[in-house]
Amino acid sequence: MHERRPGKVTSPIVSLSTSYVKLVPFGLILAALGFGIGYLMSGGDFQRFSFSYLTVFCTALSTMLGCLFFVVSQHLTRAGWSATVRRIGEIYAMSVPLMLLLFLVILVPILLMNYSAVYGWVKDGWTGGSPNPSFQELKDTYLNKMWFGIRIVAYFSIWGLMAWSFFGTSLKQDTTGDKLLSRKMQKSATWKMIIFAATIVFASFDLEMSLAPRWFSTMFPVYFFAGGVMSAFALISLTSLLLQRSGRVTDEITTEHYHDLAKLTFAFVFFWGYIAFSQFLLIWYANLPEETFWYRYRMADLAGSGWKNWSLLLLFGHLFIPFLGLMARTVRRNKTYLLFANIYILVMHWVDHYWIIMPQLGTMKATDPETAPLALPFNPLIDIPMLVGITGIVITFFCVLAADRPLIALKDPRLEEALNYKNV
Amino acid sequence: MASTIDMSLDNTFEDPSRRAPLVLGGMDYGDVTDNVAAIWEADRPPKTWYVVFTIALVLLGILGACLFHLIMKGTGVWGNNNPVYWGFPIVNFVFWVGIGHAGTLISAILFLFRQNWRTSINRAAEAMTIFAVVCAGLFPGVHIGRLWVFYWLFPVPTEHLAMWPNFRSPLLWDVFAVGTYATVSLLFWYMGMVPDIATFRDRTKTKLGKFVYSLLSLGWTGSARNWHRYEMAYTILAALATPLVLSVHTIVSFDFAVSQLPGWHTTIFPPYFVAGAIFSGFAMVVTLMVPCRSLFKLERLITIRHLENMNKIIMATGLMVGTAYGIEFFIAWYGGVKYEGFAFWNRAFGNYWWAYWIMVSCNVFIPQLFWIKWFRTNLVAMVIICIFVNIGMWFERFVITMSLSRDFLPSSWAMFRPTEIDILMLIGSFGLFFTLFTLFCRFLPVIAISEVKNVIPHDHHDDEHGDHSGAEVAAAH
Amino acid sequence: MAHSHKPEKEKPVGPSSKLVSLVAQFDDPDSLVAACDRARREGYQKMDAYSPFPVHGIDDAIGIRRTRLPFFVLAIAFCGLAFALFLQYYVNSTDESPLFPGYKFFISGKPLGVPGVPANIPVTFEIIVLSSAFATFFGMWILNGLPRFANPLHRIPRFRRATNDRFFLVLEAEDEKFNESRSRQQLEEWGATAIEECHLDLTDHEIPKNFKMAGIVLLFALLLPPALIYRAAGMTNRNPRLHVVPDMDWQDKFKTQTVGPNFSNDELVPDYLFGDPSAMRHPVAGTIARGDATGQDEFHLGYKPGSEPAPAHGGPNANTQDPAVQDPAAQAAEPEWLTSFPGGVQVSEATIARGKQRFEIYCTPCHGFDGNGGGLTNQHAQALAVQGKANWTAVKSLHDPAVKSQAVGRIFDTITNGRATMGPYQNQIPAADRWAIVMYVKALQQTGIETTGATAEASSATEAPAGN
Repeated sequence: MHERRPGKVTSPIVSLSTSYVKLVPFGLILAALGFGIGYLMSGGDFQRFSFSYLTVFCTALSTMLGCLFFVVSQHLTRAGWSATVRRIGEIYAMSVPLMLLLFLVILVPILLMNYSAVYGWVKDGWTGGSPNPSFQELKDTYLNKMWFGIRIVAYFSIWGLMAWSFFGTSLKQDTTGDKLLSRKMQKSATWKMIIFAATIVFASFDLEMSLAPRWFSTMFPVYFFAGGVMSAFALISLTSLLLQRSGRVTDEITTEHYHDLAKLTFAFVFFWGYIAFSQFLLIWYANLPEETFWYRYRMADLAGSGWKNWSLLLLFGHLFIPFLGLMARTVRRNKTYLLFANIYILVMHWVDHYWIIMPQLGTMKATDPETAPLALPFNPLIDIPMLVGITGIVITFFCVLAADRPLIALKDPRLEEALNYKNV
Repeated sequence: MASTIDMSLDNTFEDPSRRAPLVLGGMDYGDVTDNVAAIWEADRPPKTWYVVFTIALVLLGILGACLFHLIMKGTGVWGNNNPVYWGFPIVNFVFWVGIGHAGTLISAILFLFRQNWRTSINRAAEAMTIFAVVCAGLFPGVHIGRLWVFYWLFPVPTEHLAMWPNFRSPLLWDVFAVGTYATVSLLFWYMGMVPDIATFRDRTKTKLGKFVYSLLSLGWTGSARNWHRYEMAYTILAALATPLVLSVHTIVSFDFAVSQLPGWHTTIFPPYFVAGAIFSGFAMVVTLMVPCRSLFKLERLITIRHLENMNKIIMATGLMVGTAYGIEFFIAWYGGVKYEGFAFWNRAFGNYWWAYWIMVSCNVFIPQLFWIKWFRTNLVAMVIICIFVNIGMWFERFVITMSLSRDFLPSSWAMFRPTEIDILMLIGSFGLFFTLFTLFCRFLPVIAISEVKNVIPHDHHDDEHGDHSGAEVAAAH
Repeated sequence: MAHSHKPEKEKPVGPSSKLVSLVAQFDDPDSLVAACDRARREGYQKMDAYSPFPVHGIDDAIGIRRTRLPFFVLAIAFCGLAFALFLQYYVNSTDESPLFPGYKFFISGKPLGVPGVPANIPVTFEIIVLSSAFATFFGMWILNGLPRFANPLHRIPRFRRATNDRFFLVLEAEDEKFNESRSRQQLEEWGATAIEECHLDLTDHEIPKNFKMAGIVLLFALLLPPALIYRAAGMTNRNPRLHVVPDMDWQDKFKTQTVGPNFSNDELVPDYLFGDPSAMRHPVAGTIARGDATGQDEFHLGYKPGSEPAPAHGGPNANTQDPAVQDPAAQAAEPEWLTSFPGGVQVSEATIARGKQRFEIYCTPCHGFDGNGGGLTNQHAQALAVQGKANWTAVKSLHDPAVKSQAVGRIFDTITNGRATMGPYQNQIPAADRWAIVMYVKALQQTGIETTGATAEASSATEAPAGN
């Protein structure tokens, strides 16, 4: 019979130890360079910069929220297999409240300067190309800058508290080894999951759906969530791969864990496709003007705007290619393939948010989006540095939070189970 | 050993360092077989079985009479009117299809998530799925009016008609979705049952039993090479059934949501219907398994922990459904479309307000009792709550369908009143369901014997790791 | 579990049976896996383990290669995808085919062909899942060599516990390493709790007699359908087609102009349903037939009431298809057309706008937007007429001097009752709207659009009498 590994961490290096001191400045420089070049290349156009910035922000935020979901769900379901990779998820989840700092770039101009070039509803009488009439009532009660600011701060505080309660308790368990802490986290995961669901619903409405005020889809929060969780699994897998390449936690995270993470990524690629298709099909089929204008802009290639190609990129790049690619067991268990696949998934997640957010730049600039749609604004000199910038931020946050703390839950009571299971 | 039923062992404890045992009373492999086979080996089933079977047969007879009346007279015997073209038949259809989701969910999705506790309940849940789908298929089946040309539903080439079904219609998608679902569920159920039927074959004493079970078990021997391909096939079927189970209720929701009717056209419908289906299906499983386990003495296999887990899932899906109700209301206001706003206001305070509040109470408020452990683990309480859940889920479909009664044209507003035939057919469909289910309990393995053996700790190891390795075997999928 | 396998043991002894394998029983899965491991390391290749549930680690112990089933399923899934897309494209987006024509039906604004693919995804998905599930299910049984009902292992009573609580290792006699006594010794060494011999009964080859009989009967039964078809091929049958389900072929109803039911038994004193033999009912007293309610005033007629000529030819209602048939004398007699708009018609820009809108709905298909006969119907019909495929009188240009000079009442009458090939519009267009169209036509005639030569000639030539 197979010998069982005891539930002990045996890797020689289990933390970033001192290298985080070097990595934090590296991340910061990367961020500064990326965002700086992005701003310069947009020629000082703050609106263009803000939209691009919001895209990378939402890409990163939804991914980190996916990590938070991962942590909560693993506690909720008493999962055993994930004990080795949950800490990485906890660290990313902990970066969510720090993301509020990043959002200030968008939020402060709105609050202080009435800046309406990103969230159009800040300005009176603007409908964002929607055939619906004015929405004064909605603005009076919900979509106004004060409420928006309060809600944003509330979301991030709630997420921060949630992430901290898991991260902190888990760190405490590292030293005490108290298995009752796991039980405590499991119990609180129940109502935390509800709060998470409620906040992510309204956060997705506020951050992305309200860019096109009066465009509405009840499916939108699920869409936001599905993409975020998909890329969260890719990010956790990618981080584990990179950490192991640098000689950390080499013994604990095994092929079996990568296999499972890849299976979950695969599942959420499909789930995202399911949600995206259902949302599209219902709107396409019913053909109501108050809904279709949003898709029409993105898919009908109005006046050769190029958005149609971006939609096709999303369809093939975000659904079909990863679906077929991650179907093979060989790919799921091969670390080299996975390294590439995870980066690819993360880029596709950015493509997805680009597709949601950037067309609104066109409606902001054009007086009538139907007749004068703005071409696909993709400019590699702006958008790619922005992507590099957010990568720098993610690295910084990860390193600051991980510091010299263990990168694996050292005394998790389910570690033994995690170290001993095998996929077929 | 089999006689010592250690029911004092509470397996609902929460201890993160070890997995709770899923089979109680220290049963070994033989005990599991004996326990399950006893139901079928008994000379005659318990009296309660006869009572339930008789009632079910009577109800089935009522259903048959109603169907005869319907076919002779036409669909006018139903209460469907203008504008409520879809009355009870669609409500009952969606209700039963929803119930039919639990089985495949338990056998496929929980399997992929390596939830070992599913092994004790999956067989009965799968059987329930198939019977529920049969009940569901009945309603649109007889709704087509001229039953004898039912094959027009399928793309059958005909020279004289020069006509094909319309593949752009969600109702045709339904034909394919429900048809595929019924077929795949049947394959899955049967395939899972083959090793257990082989067990029956090797135990039966009658000639007829030997013949029938030999035929059904296909000559299964339990060879390791066979098991290897069998497990692979089981995994693939599970991987296929998982998106399938999502797609079925999604497509059922498309029936409503692709339209432009306020209250029907909303994009959250697909996942919301799926959550609702799991919700009602699990409630039905609990309702059936609680009496079954005491009637057939399966308490050591279907433990309180199994039921508690199911109750937790009921609570979670109930919350998802509740969240969807909330999002719908919020967006009806946020979107600013006045028809949409009216439709939702009318649901809560309009002509069918009572149905709406029955739905909300049963689906959202009552399952909240499962936050309290006593309700999760008390047999009577959980059955009562689960019955309420199913009442609530029936009313959810009723409320959605009744959006028709207040459509765009106020001059054609009308109330829907079910006729006696409507009500008797709904009751009669339970007769069909329970007839099939009671027969299944009597003649086929109610519990997946071979799968349960997988989660029994190997008693030759030390106890602490025993059930881990059991967990590990199932985890291996 | 006593040793009750005596009857089986008697049989195999002798030349009539052959040893096929040794069956070793183990009491728990771990010892089975250990034994398999040993056997493989000893070099046994033809062996198999039997257990009531899949034992973990047995695949490696026996050396089972991963099955190719997933690839088979994937291939079938792609076939399902192609089939589903083809089926839906063929059925709903094509029209002509030599065998079974597709049903190209444009419905609810959903585009045909590739742009309409989103509506085809659900069925495509279901067909992929269905075909893959069948591939998995049947592929698994085929690869496993099942169903196989005749298996010598089933004859060993002890082996029945393989589906209950015991574990078996079977070493086959065909294996190169197999040696009955040595293998038996090895199995005991590896911890077998019991060892049995599995024999194949060589005498038991006969097919049972009733099987043969059934086969012969079945064979003859199979010949029947082709024989019947062959017989029917050259026959003529005068009987009507068999109606399994009558549907609406025959209905219980009375047709018009037939005798109603008579309930009386006495022929002299009939008792009809409605009091008279007619199956049809007479209209209720005071019923006004459609069109009879039209007012007989200037507004509805277009001429002064009472000024119409003698009703010999139907007055202004002459709508004969062939103008040549019309009596020129009768044509000359015309009512007194209104030359200005009657009371109730307000001459205003709004009315003209209304007239324009109605004109564009009802008149442009033939007369064209400019009134010169450029409408699609006219163009198409004229093209067909040139090819000799249709009989068509060219549409009259509204700018033809003959039309220009017409009184408003006369134009109104043309719209109301039609002229030549033009049909009457009184049922489609309310009188007020007809006046509005007249007003618009008059306005159109003031625009200075010239009559296009050919059309004008053709139209004046064909409808000259009416134009005067």
